[in-house]
Amino acid sequence: MVISNINHRIIKEALTIRKVEEKFLELFSQGKLNGTVHTCVGQELSAVAFAGQLKSKDFIFSNHRCHGHYISFTHDVKGLLAELLGKKSGTSGGVGSSQHLCKGNFFSNGIQGGIIPVAAGYALANKLEGNDAIGIVFIGDGTLGEGTLYETMNIISKWNIPLLIVCENNFYAQSTPQNVNLAGDILKRPEAFGIKTFKGDTWNAGQLMSDAKAAIDFVRTNQKPAFFLVETYRLNAHSKGDDDRSPEEVEEYINKDFLNTFKQESPSYYDTYIESINTEIDRYLDEIQNDTDLSLSEYYQKEKEVSRNEWTVLEPINKRQVELINTFFREQMVLNDKIIFIGEDILSPYGGAFKVSRELSFLKPDRVFSTPISESAIMGISNGLALNGFKPFAEIMFGDFVTLAFDQIVNHASKFYHIFNHQVKCPVVLRTPMGGRRGYGPTHSQTLDKFLIGIDNIKTVAINTLLDPQLIYHAATAEEHPVIILENKVDYGKKILAHKARNYTYEKNNDLFPLVRIRPIHSTPDLTIVTYGGMADILNAILEEIFVETDRKSELIILSQISPLNPSLIVESVKTTGCLVVIEEGSAPGGIGSEVIASVLEHLTESVRVRRIAAMPVPIPSVKSLENLVLPERERIIQELKDLFT
Amino acid sequence: MNVLQEITVPQESVNDQSLIVLELFFKDGEKVSKGALIAELETSKTTISVEAEADGYIQYFCKVGDDLLVNALIARITDEMPDIKIISAEQKKTVVNGFNTNKPKVQESIFSKEAIRLMASASIHQDVFAGLDFVSKADVEAFISGGAKTTEKLAKKIVTAIPLPDDLSKVILQKIPSFKKKEIEYLQSVQSAGLVSVINTMVNTDGVIDYLNQHLRYFKNSLLPVILAECAKLLKKHNSFNAYFNGENIAYYKSIHIGFAVDMEKGLKVLKISNTNEKSIQEIEEEVFQRSNEYLDDKIKTETLTDITFTVTDLSSEGVSSFTPLINMKNSAILGVSAIDEKLNRCILSLAFDHRVTEGKQAAIFLSELKERIESYRSIGIDNALSKVKLSAITCYKCYKKLTEDLSDTGFAKCITPSGNEAYICQSCFKGF
Repeated sequence: MVISNINHRIIKEALTIRKVEEKFLELFSQGKLNGTVHTCVGQELSAVAFAGQLKSKDFIFSNHRCHGHYISFTHDVKGLLAELLGKKSGTSGGVGSSQHLCKGNFFSNGIQGGIIPVAAGYALANKLEGNDAIGIVFIGDGTLGEGTLYETMNIISKWNIPLLIVCENNFYAQSTPQNVNLAGDILKRPEAFGIKTFKGDTWNAGQLMSDAKAAIDFVRTNQKPAFFLVETYRLNAHSKGDDDRSPEEVEEYINKDFLNTFKQESPSYYDTYIESINTEIDRYLDEIQNDTDLSLSEYYQKEKEVSRNEWTVLEPINKRQVELINTFFREQMVLNDKIIFIGEDILSPYGGAFKVSRELSFLKPDRVFSTPISESAIMGISNGLALNGFKPFAEIMFGDFVTLAFDQIVNHASKFYHIFNHQVKCPVVLRTPMGGRRGYGPTHSQTLDKFLIGIDNIKTVAINTLLDPQLIYHAATAEEHPVIILENKVDYGKKILAHKARNYTYEKNNDLFPLVRIRPIHSTPDLTIVTYGGMADILNAILEEIFVETDRKSELIILSQISPLNPSLIVESVKTTGCLVVIEEGSAPGGIGSEVIASVLEHLTESVRVRRIAAMPVPIPSVKSLENLVLPERERIIQELKDLFT
Repeated sequence: MNVLQEITVPQESVNDQSLIVLELFFKDGEKVSKGALIAELETSKTTISVEAEADGYIQYFCKVGDDLLVNALIARITDEMPDIKIISAEQKKTVVNGFNTNKPKVQESIFSKEAIRLMASASIHQDVFAGLDFVSKADVEAFISGGAKTTEKLAKKIVTAIPLPDDLSKVILQKIPSFKKKEIEYLQSVQSAGLVSVINTMVNTDGVIDYLNQHLRYFKNSLLPVILAECAKLLKKHNSFNAYFNGENIAYYKSIHIGFAVDMEKGLKVLKISNTNEKSIQEIEEEVFQRSNEYLDDKIKTETLTDITFTVTDLSSEGVSSFTPLINMKNSAILGVSAIDEKLNRCILSLAFDHRVTEGKQAAIFLSELKERIESYRSIGIDNALSKVKLSAITCYKCYKKLTEDLSDTGFAKCITPSGNEAYICQSCFKGF
């Protein structure tokens, strides 16, 4: 008797998972489920063994095939049913559906691999709090192809993060058999990182239960990671209608299946359990069938952000920008235990590529994390820390490398709040220096800002040399949602407002991320120039010359918050000047200028002259003469402005 | 807490709308006694001390260097210790000055290239735009089409120059003293309109100086007293030079009070000779002497500085050959006196005049009449054919008195001696004792 040593509670739990999923398939074929489902029929015991044996303070990050994990950890069948039926009463309000579940410390996301560093960050937060909680991240064998897994395994091993990676090996990546895509040995992968490994399967239920418990205890006791490979087999298709496996092979596993065996061996128990489970499911469906859907206003309300038309005169600060940023962290990290500084090469005495983190690791060694070269993991771990109560500031050493963290920005940080129906917030901050003019060449000089705007629920701000950067950092600290702060490597060494053009007033408004306005003392301006970031310093230096050469009195508006855009003050200015020029260091197509101009024109009925001045759409050359020509510099800016008016 | 005294900026002279705080002698909250010196202020002509009029506690509403408007609160004396904290630095700022210290003032105007081209072709001077931050082609066009009206509008924008924050790594800032500010304000008033023109004339001084040296008490080799006297007479006739432009109309002065400019390390000042046209050369000379002494002793009376209707500025002692004088506020003209060229026996007079009030033809007539009047002084009592050398050779044939020694102001008579020779005879010998 295979299952004699198994507690019937576990059997009932596994059966519940199966019956719920079978109900989903039934509802799907009736056209009552929007989208698709990935069932774990045949794999239930893995869920029961791992998710079912955690403590409630522990956490789970799961993937697209997460129903079993969810039921075992939360026992919330009703919430899951409601979620898949798209009801407001569902665990994610019907927004997330099958792949995006959240309840308490349970999270799932449909992106392969991305949840692994997030889980690591969540576990790191627990470790920093010293609360003895651990976590599990479930991956499938298909996810072994994702690079972020290896970045994270390296880090969790190096930092002794209490995270158990459970790899459910069902031998297929969607429809592709494992031997087609997987090289080498699975367990040798974590072993190579020095991670303790375990192995089991869902056909030896009793053994799996005890080995899973052992692995969980190992992680908790040793505060170290572990990797558990569970061999299993999914009896249904990956999703729907994508199954090319041979019927013989499937048949073999159906016969071998733990619950089917139980049905054979104890048919009366099986029938009793099935009846009670079906009754329960039907009761739940009955209860939720009249539940309403989430309304749009409950899901999303456009924030009424009005840029404040209140102004304060700007004063120079006799300190370099980088000193001020560094001072912010020195002061705030001592006051606020939740602030984490994380990035590459940031330990002192080196203090980071641009010295922003100078001496921070001396002041707060347990809050400064110098990482391997793993941008995806840096951002993912930061996301996890943020979800679990910390305020991480992730540094991406060069803005060019931000693409390596992009999945974490777009599919994780940006989405958690909405896909989990406002149950969680991810107040992560990503900082990175953009910009050229130092001859670093095509991959270390870019301004990739255009890829970092218009991301849902993320504010993108840029600092400049006219405004105290500490204002931006304080405001970012107070934000409840993700913020991307764009810095500029040439600006770091400059002092704040070291130069004021003659006959202009310099003011900032009272927005959280203030807008700077430079306008003629008396004259009414007849040209609105909008810029931000590193270009602000360049424009400020040539303001007078722009007037002399173009005969246009310009009002220069320097944005701090470039996304989401709030164009009200620009609109007001353009109504007076009738002319809007946006100058950016990135290239023009699909850029900040396009966005600024579009959002201003939406508010105007009168016709307005517009122009984007930007970098040329080619990689930035290292050679100085050519770099200067490709990037928008003094001479070209003035020439393009002159062209605009002739 | 009772306020015992509120000390405000006194009106020291009509010229001063504001005074600069030179020194504060106490700290906020300190005890002061009656009669104690509490502050020193600088006016455009002197410094004044402010005393406490009661025993009590002092609280200042200004700081050293502030430019306070007349009637602004300097300090308050109370019978109890004031709660100093309630007056923030911000509030202090608003109390003083009358200027919004936060708002930067215009430095020199910035001209676009197109504006400069247009100004050059239309012969417009850039001073016309003083007070404007930026001057574009459109501004120049507006000036051309708007004419005087625009000018007046611009003129109203002029503010007393206040030093601006500058790049302190490149320059050293020195605060403009009050008197200098006043000077700028006075001179901007007419000049900024840009419609000032100058014409010059050359006065033959041969013989004139000799004559004047004999007849003046204090001034030697100076044309000033005679110029003041003769201008006064001419201004009666040419009243457009004794007037000013008020923005719309021309205001003609009923009286003639010529001012003369002095600058002897106490700042440039114009001192008034009231009712100049009613005074003799000697009286004028006497008054110039008196006023100058008052200037040097810092004892100028307010009325000496006010209601001046025409100005003479004499730079002859500085050896200048010619210059363009600047017209004062509420004047339409100024006469500049350059140095006397002793070889050529001549001196250049320059009349700057406000084209809005008068014109070149009038100015030319005025100058030419003035020239004639000055030159006429050499013909009084002496033969204009005589040279300086001959003059000393003229001797009374009876008493051997030299003409230059004669004080009668009548001259010698030419006569035929009993021996039949031509000779000169003095009045005394001719009339007999």
